[in-house]
Amino acid sequence: MSEQVNNNPNPAKVDTRKTEINKGIILFNKLGIWVIVVALVVMGMIIAMVNGGSFFGASNVQSILEAVALQGMVCSGLIYVVYAGNMNDMSIPLTMAMAGMMTVQSINLGFPIALAIGLLSGVCIGLINGFMIGKLKANPIIWTWGFNLLLSGIIRVVWGGKQLYADSVAADTEYAQNAANTFYSISRTYIGGVISLMAIVMLVLFAISWFIHSKTSFGQKLKLVGTSYEAARFSGINCTKVVTMSYVLCSTAAAVGGIFYAALRKTASYENGTGYDFSCLTCVLLGGTLLGGGQGSVVGTLGGVLAYGILNNILSWIGLGTYTKYAVQGVVFLAIVWINTYSERKLGKG
Amino acid sequence: MSQEPKGTGEVLALEMRGVSKRFPGTLAVDRVDFRVKKGEVHALMGENGAGKSTLMKVLAGLFNDYTGEIFIEGEKKKLHTPIMAKEAGIGMVYQELSLARRISIYENLLVGRLPKKNALFIDKKAAIARARECLERVGLGNLDPTINIADISQCDAQLVEIAKVLDAQPRILVMDEPTSSLSREEVQRMFDIIRKLKEEGLAIIYISHHMSEIFEIADRVTVMRDGRKVGECDVSEINTEQLVEQMVGEPVKSFYAESGSKISDEVVLKVEDFTRWGFFHHVDFELHKGEILAISGLAGAGRTEIARALIGVDAYDKGRVYLHGKEVKFKNFGEAIKAGVGYLTEDRKVVGLALTQSVADNVMSCVIDKYSKGILYSNGWNNDLVDEKINEMSVYPADRNRRVNSFSGGNQQKVLMAKWLAADVDVLILDEPTRGVDVNAKQIIHNVVKKYVEQGNAVILISSDLPEVVGLCDRAVILREGHIIGEIPKEGITENSLLIAANGKGEYVTCQNK
Repeated sequence: MSEQVNNNPNPAKVDTRKTEINKGIILFNKLGIWVIVVALVVMGMIIAMVNGGSFFGASNVQSILEAVALQGMVCSGLIYVVYAGNMNDMSIPLTMAMAGMMTVQSINLGFPIALAIGLLSGVCIGLINGFMIGKLKANPIIWTWGFNLLLSGIIRVVWGGKQLYADSVAADTEYAQNAANTFYSISRTYIGGVISLMAIVMLVLFAISWFIHSKTSFGQKLKLVGTSYEAARFSGINCTKVVTMSYVLCSTAAAVGGIFYAALRKTASYENGTGYDFSCLTCVLLGGTLLGGGQGSVVGTLGGVLAYGILNNILSWIGLGTYTKYAVQGVVFLAIVWINTYSERKLGKG
Repeated sequence: MSQEPKGTGEVLALEMRGVSKRFPGTLAVDRVDFRVKKGEVHALMGENGAGKSTLMKVLAGLFNDYTGEIFIEGEKKKLHTPIMAKEAGIGMVYQELSLARRISIYENLLVGRLPKKNALFIDKKAAIARARECLERVGLGNLDPTINIADISQCDAQLVEIAKVLDAQPRILVMDEPTSSLSREEVQRMFDIIRKLKEEGLAIIYISHHMSEIFEIADRVTVMRDGRKVGECDVSEINTEQLVEQMVGEPVKSFYAESGSKISDEVVLKVEDFTRWGFFHHVDFELHKGEILAISGLAGAGRTEIARALIGVDAYDKGRVYLHGKEVKFKNFGEAIKAGVGYLTEDRKVVGLALTQSVADNVMSCVIDKYSKGILYSNGWNNDLVDEKINEMSVYPADRNRRVNSFSGGNQQKVLMAKWLAADVDVLILDEPTRGVDVNAKQIIHNVVKKYVEQGNAVILISSDLPEVVGLCDRAVILREGHIIGEIPKEGITENSLLIAANGKGEYVTCQNK
């Protein structure tokens, strides 16, 4: 306290905490999941060659993309919820189911309107989740899980537990039947005869998601909210709005996934989307997004989705049984997560 | 001033001789002699950071590397672990309660030594009877020991805590701010218990920042400053002013450069009858353009609460706020910032900064909307602004892409200040702007604050650092228990006058609440 006036405006201080960091770890941390994706691709090529096939053959690439397309669509939105620090949206399965039901139920209004209604149901679910969690501060896991149950109940009561088929729901007019056929076809369209429309939609959703995440003011606010809710609040950021928006984006993406799911299976039912809550969370986390929020990227999430798909593809090349497949999947995912954590810790970020 | 209680032949309850404790880089306690007689309430006084807590932690056995000798009832003891301290007869009552709120009183009291029955089961009857005995000692004989801690009052919980400590039969009882959360009547109850324990022959070491309590309850007082003992005397031989002077030391040679004060008559912010029941009541003040106004008072007087209500984070029950003559009521902090009111929080790590993000992210966090184009936004557009602000604050290293948590505390605080400079508000509330930062960083922050008001802005300063208030402020309003009880003009602001006024005494106190 009794120091004299120090006129030096910039007191140079030595950074005493400096430590050596392994270059490989920095590189791994930068590239993240894509290192794994490349490794899996190389592995896939070798295994495919041994089995006398081609990993990069049109049919194989197509099957990989098709397998992960639905998951990818959902992940492109789920990343916002995880990034905002709300861990997981447990209502994803029934959001998907609801979007499928609504689309099929309104198929008589024509395909575009049915599609819009399906998407709108997703937006509404997102708004409700967002209101409860963002505004009323409900526990995100408990609320979305409970809401999932509620939606499941609503669907079963309203439709009497029945499955809906677009062609039987559609009235006996040419217009309605055409709409039903268009609906079925969206999951079976191949652009240029090679790439599935579903894969294209997934990539487009990821592109939009990347843009929102890194180029908009919402993305910048989300970064702060996810890192430290209180700090964001004390910077004048409307956290409620940001959290609500993250749920709307998530549920809308899930609705897109749900509509394609119903079209692919040719049925809409309350069972559609079962298991997508955790498989999608797995992809997001594999992509390097922190469960606690504030860290991660859309590009990484796409990597996570691809790693998930390629691994499954490789395992079917090898011809493993379902149970063995689960075991191998588990080991690989644990390894990826551990390497991620390890590299973060080595960089002092963990 | 200093009288040695020697030659009486009396055995001291506690004698610490030449006790020192060194932390890396600082000598927290420097060769302190500290004596406490049996049946005496001995106050230990000093400003924050004077070394009182460290000395008491030595006594509690939290350090095994202190130097010096400690005698308890004439017997030399080593206090290297908390258990050794407890066995030596030291009982500690901490400021924060260490009771489990959701279990019953008797379980809390007898935790770890509940009487057993048949080797396996707890003898509930015996336990309750034993708990009753403990409670009787602190005057809670008619309290049912089976109720949960959560269901009794703060004062009773504090007394249960004391009962728990007393159950170990200590000979020396250390009480660190035992009344900080109690009302006036409850304080009296607490004092009655203390007097009773004193009569039983216990030596009580009492730490409090409330001067009035010291004069009421203590027999003797030891004052510490900068890790050293600077005085010891009977309470009857000293008054508040003398005590404060001992605590603060000689009037500190201010290192604050004289600022060419440019306070205009223009009122920037006016607060009338501002009330949030239970926190602050009927608060009125005006803030002028170019002025630094201190809201001064003890911790817990409601200073931070006023700030939070002003910026729209907490609701308030009554009152009006005028900004530039127009009445405003902010629904959230975002509105306040847009209107030009900023708040630099006292809690840098939790509410101040997003620690795992970069400097640029943090500096721009208040003004994302302002610098966005439609829905588009990129930090890259504002690199010049970020660089300008972090250079103004001399953030070292001046790297806008570095994560904030890799900076030292002082530099983090500078980043926080840079954030508010970038926010471009014209009223800034600074809540402990230099807490826990080194002298250089403090200097830089103070200079920036002065420059900021010279540019025609206004600052409200909330600080427990008295030299800071003396050096920076043009006026101080005194807040005590949620009421503004007086105002000190620039000429009158000294550490002594601030401390005395904060305790509700002295010439500047114009109205006494209660």
